[in-house]
Amino acid sequence: MEIVVLIKPIPEAESRLRATPDGRGLEPEGVKFVLAGYDESAVEQALLLKESLPGSRVHAVSFGPARCEETLRAAIALGADRATWVEGPPEGSDDPVLAARALAAALQTVPHDLVLGGKQAGDDEEGIVPGAVAELLGIPSFGYVTDLRSSGPSGLTFLRPTEAGVERWEAPLPCVVGLQQAWNDPRSAKLPNILKSRKAPILKVDWPTTSKALALEAKPRSIGEKFELPAPRTGAKMIEFKTPEEAAEKLVRLLREEAKVFP
Amino acid sequence: MPDFSLTAEQESLRDAARKFARTEMAPKAAECDKSARFPEEIYRKAWELGLMNLNVPTEYGGSGLGALEQCLIVEELAYACGGMTTSIIANCLALEPILLGGTAEQKSRWLNPFCAEYHLASFCLTEPGGGSDAAGLQTRARKDGDGYVLSGEKCFITNGPHASLFTVFATLDPSLRSKGIAAFIVPGDAPGIVRGKDEDKMGHRASSTSTIRFEGVRIPGAQRLGGEQDGFSIAMRTLDQTRTPIGALATGIAQAALDHSARYSLERKSFGKVIAEHQAIQIKLANMAQAVHAARLLTWHAAWSIDHGHPGTLESSIAKCFASDAALRVADEAIQIFGGYGYMRDYPVEKLMRDAKLTQIYEGSNEIQRIVTARELLRQYG
Repeated sequence: MEIVVLIKPIPEAESRLRATPDGRGLEPEGVKFVLAGYDESAVEQALLLKESLPGSRVHAVSFGPARCEETLRAAIALGADRATWVEGPPEGSDDPVLAARALAAALQTVPHDLVLGGKQAGDDEEGIVPGAVAELLGIPSFGYVTDLRSSGPSGLTFLRPTEAGVERWEAPLPCVVGLQQAWNDPRSAKLPNILKSRKAPILKVDWPTTSKALALEAKPRSIGEKFELPAPRTGAKMIEFKTPEEAAEKLVRLLREEAKVFP
Repeated sequence: MPDFSLTAEQESLRDAARKFARTEMAPKAAECDKSARFPEEIYRKAWELGLMNLNVPTEYGGSGLGALEQCLIVEELAYACGGMTTSIIANCLALEPILLGGTAEQKSRWLNPFCAEYHLASFCLTEPGGGSDAAGLQTRARKDGDGYVLSGEKCFITNGPHASLFTVFATLDPSLRSKGIAAFIVPGDAPGIVRGKDEDKMGHRASSTSTIRFEGVRIPGAQRLGGEQDGFSIAMRTLDQTRTPIGALATGIAQAALDHSARYSLERKSFGKVIAEHQAIQIKLANMAQAVHAARLLTWHAAWSIDHGHPGTLESSIAKCFASDAALRVADEAIQIFGGYGYMRDYPVEKLMRDAKLTQIYEGSNEIQRIVTARELLRQYG
């Protein structure tokens, strides 16, 4: 099975985030971008499928600025066989549809039975790219997928947990899957593989190529208007009490009089 | 000007170690410390990721890293738990004599199978009668046909209860002191090896330490490393290589103490404001930060020297000694900043002080490091 896994570099969880001077987006300077969250699960799932189907290959693909290269190397260190960086526009873009168009254009020449991605990116959590890529490639798309397994050379089975229960699906290949969770916690890269990944070639589709292929569609359709960090949380209030009744009474009074949650 | 930036490769190795340290080691550090549990599941995982045999070349199944890369990794591991780090890097110490003194055949015979699976090795130099006076060691190696018979006792042996391989230093003639010492490879299942009880230690409680007694352990001549007089030199050159990562280990403990202190000082209030606003605390934090920075830079410099083909004896002695003294001082100040809470086992800083203490003692006490430093220094003037 030719498995393409779409990955996006996202800020490391411990990063201290701030807005760009124009207030429209996240300031990337000083932020470490990593493979994490749902995309990390997607890489794990791609590797699990590869291991269960001899002869399969995993091809990691990332769209965006130069920082994609580090994320692709992380995927190679984990076990991806190949990696392609689809360069974004020099002025940058957060437009998920442009990302999907660029990725779909690049995938025209990349063999793919399964295109796997996180159900949404771990940072902006828009969840648009997998579905949009499927639409552009003209193949089915499935989101919120867990327990993804191969059912032979031309199909997949998976589960979709919903509020009403768990759906069990069978899907044909090729298709796009937005993954909720892999079977396993994502593995860690071994040191010797990290060293090898540093020397691995990264294929590059440069922006002029993508821009030409997309022609009029190469322009971002959405532009961030304002980027603000959440207000700092104020401290918790501890309620002192001797009996549960007293605790409940004090809590209700605070909710009513201070927090004004109900009249 | 020297360039202090790390390569992308070095950063990715450090990130991998950091991730392992924070996700696997840190959550279990307090529990293992409290119960003196040897977390084998963590050590196995460290081995799987290649964090264990850092200095062993890849051709023998190790990670084949340079001294600076080892230091970057060790600092990250020690940030999470000094004791676990001691057990994880003990293989580097125990296998270095084979790397330095072994023939190509010995390396291939002993390192390949050892590194192909999870195994622990122990370096056996220190004896109950003396650690710093290594030339005066009393474990005897008697010639027996084409081999040797080892008799004697080693103590404070890291991973001793679990090791499947020992590198052992023993004397053929105690009167010759350093010239009488030979080094041997001893498999853990050799008849006559008696492992002592797991020692109850002040710190590094996730690590395991015991005596190892050799009661007439027969060793074929092919398991001697180097010549019959080369053991002492192999031991000293081994320590030249492994001392620097101890500086990194101490730096990791010190950095943890500083981070805990700075965070706490921004939360804890006294006299109506967070204690970070009191100059008394600011001065402490500044001194701690100076010590951590200096320790790290000395360690990096020693590693750089070794990676550039210098013996690094002076640099590594300075780095190990300074960083370990710094770690104890910084951990001590961390407890002071935490006040009464710092003295409680429910808070993380008292462990750091207990763990820091050992770094002044093992792999050459700091008194020995100062003697080495002075000797190397005076050589430049004499």
